Amino acid sequence: MIKLSNITKIYPPDITALHKVNLHIKPGEFVSVVGQSGTGKTTLVKLLISEEKADDGKIVIGGWDITAIGQAEISVLRRQIGVVFQDFKLLYKKTLFENVAFALQVCGEPQRKINNIVPQVLKIVGLENKMHRYPLQISGGEQQRAVIARALVHRPKILLADEPTGNLDSINADEIIEILQKINKFGTTVVLVTHNREVVNKLRKRVITIENGLVVGDQAVGKYVL
Amino acid sequence: MFLLSFLRVIKFSLQDIARNIWLSIITIIIITLALFSVNLLLTVKVLTSATVGAVKDKIDVSLYLKSEAPENLILALKSQIENIDSVAKVDYISKQAAIESFREKHKNDPEILQALLELGKNPLSPGLIIKPKDINNYDDLIVSLNKIDNDIIESRNFDDHKAILAKINNIADKASEAGLFISSLFVLITILVVYNAVRVAIFTHKREIGIMKLVGASTWFIRAPYLISGVIYALLGVVVAIIIIYPFLSLIQPYLASFFSGLKVNILDYYNSNFLLIFGLEFLAASLVNVLASLVAVGKYSKV
Repeated sequence: MIKLSNITKIYPPDITALHKVNLHIKPGEFVSVVGQSGTGKTTLVKLLISEEKADDGKIVIGGWDITAIGQAEISVLRRQIGVVFQDFKLLYKKTLFENVAFALQVCGEPQRKINNIVPQVLKIVGLENKMHRYPLQISGGEQQRAVIARALVHRPKILLADEPTGNLDSINADEIIEILQKINKFGTTVVLVTHNREVVNKLRKRVITIENGLVVGDQAVGKYVL
Repeated sequence: MFLLSFLRVIKFSLQDIARNIWLSIITIIIITLALFSVNLLLTVKVLTSATVGAVKDKIDVSLYLKSEAPENLILALKSQIENIDSVAKVDYISKQAAIESFREKHKNDPEILQALLELGKNPLSPGLIIKPKDINNYDDLIVSLNKIDNDIIESRNFDDHKAILAKINNIADKASEAGLFISSLFVLITILVVYNAVRVAIFTHKREIGIMKLVGASTWFIRAPYLISGVIYALLGVVVAIIIIYPFLSLIQPYLASFFSGLKVNILDYYNSNFLLIFGLEFLAASLVNVLASLVAVGKYSKV
């Protein structure tokens, strides 16, 4: 599903975020990428959605070499991957319904389909009664659930979650992880980037550890060991 | 698919204008003020041209004829002059018409009227009033008139007119040059103000543009609502400018009419007869500036 071969990313002047990283994530896996702040975890997510370009190496997603894709293809790539960000990245001037619908509208989906699917997805994340509220009218945990709904709505094969619990209390964090596990059970590959030890240890799934831009650990049923 | 996206883009654009209502109002106010200033400048330009045109229109050449010249020869001369290319119109003022006009002009001056009575006969000569077709070809007209050899012509001294004409042309040219310079400067400032207003409006959407890009929106899908908003802002700006400018012109028209009494100056008529041209061009120019500003600003913030 996701294959990184010898990926290196250097930020000017000479900060090596990732150095010769090799990874292979299979379809349907739930993988936690752990490491302390500034070790290159977010750079990895940015490379996977082509927000950054690798200086060396090759990235293949679902058989598609995205290492050097053009601007027009980037939009197409992002419509096939669901992304959950730590800072939510919701459009404040749109309601939750509109935020989720936007992900389908950019794909050119018909309105009837959107009106049908969006409430269903919002129901999955428990926001069916708040779909006409604006992001700033709901809590952080609810905002993150709305982001998950937006990431899921076009049924992506891959869901990238970059520190999705970073701004949440433990109760909300547990709820978000539960939702991610549910999504994974439906067959979606989930890549969870986090430095939340408790969350990773509870999951008992594959753990990839990154330290100073290098992959220093990859356990099939791992724990947060740093 | 394209139609669906297009309709969505229009919907997003209207939604964006409504949900950022204060920002939209401020942008429209700036565009309106800029257009109002442009219209003020246009009003000044129209008044200047009307004044210079009216003064030029008053310039004519008088050919004084001998007192005893028979009417048939005068009419033959009139027709000869009418055939000259640079002549627009020739008016024949008979001795009788000349004295009547003189009396009318001095009707409040009893001394002059008394002197005329004491003379006992009409002292005025008949004359031909010649209006040139183009005031700039005045010299050609004088040459042609000087070439006419006819005994009934009493005098043809045109030198005074040449001096006045040179002065008027000089003033008109300078007014035109200054007008062009001020207009260009003004239009440039207006463009920069509107361009910046739209850029500031889009700057507040910087975060949104980045998010749209991360969700997979194409650059066109992000850009188009802002382009449409820019055109809508321009349209609303022009409409508000029209709503303001017409009462303003109606208010100043009586003052202009009294200030330029004797001249055909009606700024309202000018706006009415050139409505589509003036406001159509202003709408196009404002839209163009807005679209350009939107393209640059969105392009800058959508590089994610």
